[in-house]
Amino acid sequence: MVNTLFRVTPSGWAGMACLALAIFIVPEIVGTRWLSVFTSTGCFALAIAGVAFMYARLGMVSLTQVGLMGVGGWVTLRLNHAFDFPFEVNMGIAALVTMICGWILALPALRMRGLYLALVTLMAAGGLEIMFATFQFPNGGDGFWGVQTGSSDPFRRPWLAQSPQAYMRYVFVCVALGFVFIEIHRRLKPGRAWALIRRSEAAAIAAGVNVTLYKTWAFGIAGLLAGGAGALLAGSLGLLDDGTFRASESVMIFALAVVGGARYWYGAILAAVLFRVLPALLNNWGVDADLSFVIFGAGLLHAVITAPDGIAGQIRDALLSRRKGANSGKGGADA
Amino acid sequence: MLDVQQITVRFGGVVALNAVSARFDKPVSGIIGPNGAGKTTLMNVLSGFVSPSDGAVDCDGQNLLTLAPFKRPHWGLRRSFQKEEIADDLTVFENVLVQIDHSPTGPLSKHEEVTKMLDYVGMSDRANKPGADLNSFERRLTDIAKCLVGQPKIVMFDEPAGGLSVDETHRLGALIKGIHALTGAQTLVIDHDVDLIQQICAEALVLDFGKTIAFGATNDVLADPKVKAAYLGTEEV
Repeated sequence: MVNTLFRVTPSGWAGMACLALAIFIVPEIVGTRWLSVFTSTGCFALAIAGVAFMYARLGMVSLTQVGLMGVGGWVTLRLNHAFDFPFEVNMGIAALVTMICGWILALPALRMRGLYLALVTLMAAGGLEIMFATFQFPNGGDGFWGVQTGSSDPFRRPWLAQSPQAYMRYVFVCVALGFVFIEIHRRLKPGRAWALIRRSEAAAIAAGVNVTLYKTWAFGIAGLLAGGAGALLAGSLGLLDDGTFRASESVMIFALAVVGGARYWYGAILAAVLFRVLPALLNNWGVDADLSFVIFGAGLLHAVITAPDGIAGQIRDALLSRRKGANSGKGGADA
Repeated sequence: MLDVQQITVRFGGVVALNAVSARFDKPVSGIIGPNGAGKTTLMNVLSGFVSPSDGAVDCDGQNLLTLAPFKRPHWGLRRSFQKEEIADDLTVFENVLVQIDHSPTGPLSKHEEVTKMLDYVGMSDRANKPGADLNSFERRLTDIAKCLVGQPKIVMFDEPAGGLSVDETHRLGALIKGIHALTGAQTLVIDHDVDLIQQICAEALVLDFGKTIAFGATNDVLADPKVKAAYLGTEEV
C-alpha cells in the first residue's frame, strides 16, 4: 500500500541497466575526450537531479544550483590543497558545506514562491558568480583563497579511480547513489509531506507538516547534491574555472531539467546529456556549439506547450501505452 | 467540549467575526449562515490560519490559540477544506497516512489505523489507487478518512457535501454521524445543505455578517425567524 522502501520498479531496473552500461561498456569504447564529456555529464546530472527534485516535489524554482556546484568545487579544491584528506572526505565536507549554504539560501526564500523565489535564487547565483570571478578557485597557492599564478598543484583523485575510465565509473556510481538518496526520500515521510506541500501548504499544515522544516530540508538536499557534483567536477578536471559557474548556467540547467522531465531520474540524465553531450557533438560535426541554445529553446517551448513532464514523461507515456496495447491485444487474443 | 469565546477577526476595516461565542458539546455540531457570514473564517481561526484580534478557544483545558498551526493536528484537530486536498501523486493509503506521519503512534500502528479508517469510509479496496485517478466522491471519502486517523479530538468539515449527489450526500452524512462512536471526536460541519445539517447535527451555530444570530438545538435554530430572515433575505423580525 505504501511505496515500500526496497521495492525495485521497472524504472529502477532500467536505471540499473543504464548504470551497468555507463560503468562497464562506455568507458571501454570511448576516447579520452568523450570520457571527459561523459564524466562532466554525470556531474551535472547529479546537480540537475537536485534542482529537478525541488521543482517536481515542491514546485520550488531554484536558480542557484550551478553556483552551489561552484561552492562544492571550491571547498573540495581548498581542502585538497590545504590538507592530506582523501578525496571522499573532501567531497563529504564540500557537500555538507554546500548543504548549509542551501539552508542559508532557504531562509529568505521560504517566504517566497514562484517568480519571486526564482529571482531571489538567481540573485544568489549572481552573487556567487561575482565571488568566483573575484577570488578564483584554489590551485595550491597560499592564504585562505589559495590562488597562485602559474601552474596548479596536483589534485588527488580517489584512490579507487586514478584513471579517466575509473573516474568516470566512480562519478556514475555517485550519481546513482544521489538518485537513490532522492528516491528514498520520496518513498518515506518527507516524500509524502512534500507531495502534500506541493498540493497545498494549508493542507500540509492541517496534516501537521512543518512546512518550513520540509522546505528547508529540500533546499539542503539540493545543496548537498550540488556540492557533491561540484566536488566530482573538481576531481575530473583537477582545477576549476569561474566561467563554468555563471548564473546563466543555473538558469540553463533548470530549463533543461524541465525539458528533460523533472519528475524522473532519466529526465535529469537527458537534461545533462543535452547540456554537455549535445554541444560536444555539434563541435565534432564542425557546427557552432551555440546552436545548442536554439535547440534548448525549442525543447523548452515544446515542454511548456505539449509535454509538462518533459521528454522523460513522454517516454514513460509511450512505454505505458505500448504496454497497455500489448495487454489489451493479449486480452483480445485470449478472448 | 469546544468553547469558543468572544472571537473577533478583523481584515483591515472589515470585521469578519464579531465577538462570536459558542460552547459546542454535542457529538456533531453545525455552523451555518449565508455566504460571507464568517463560517470558514471561524474554522480558519480554529485551525490557526487566521489569528483573531480577540478571544479564546478552549478544548478540554487546552487553549488552541497558543498552539502553532502545524501543532494543532498533533493535539488532535482535523479539518477538511471546501476543495478536497488530495495529493495526486500519492496513493489513497499514503494520502491518509501523511496525516499521522508526524504524530506519535497511538494504540494501533499507523498502518492499522489507516486501514481501519479506509475500511470505515469504504475506500480500502482502492487503497493503492493514485490520487490523480480518483473521482470527486472518492477524493472526499479519502479526505474524511484523513480526518479520522490518529485519535482526533475535533474534526471540522468545510462544506463536505459541495458538488455531491443526493445519494452521496446521504452516505456522507451517515459517515459523519458515526465519527463520534468510532473515534470519540467531536465534529463541526459547515454546509449550505440545511437538510444535511438537520440530519446530522444536534446543535447549530448560525452566523450572519460575522455575528452570532442563533445557537442551540438544530431544529429550534432553523425555526428561528432571525435565521429564516438571514437565509431568505426577508426583513429581520
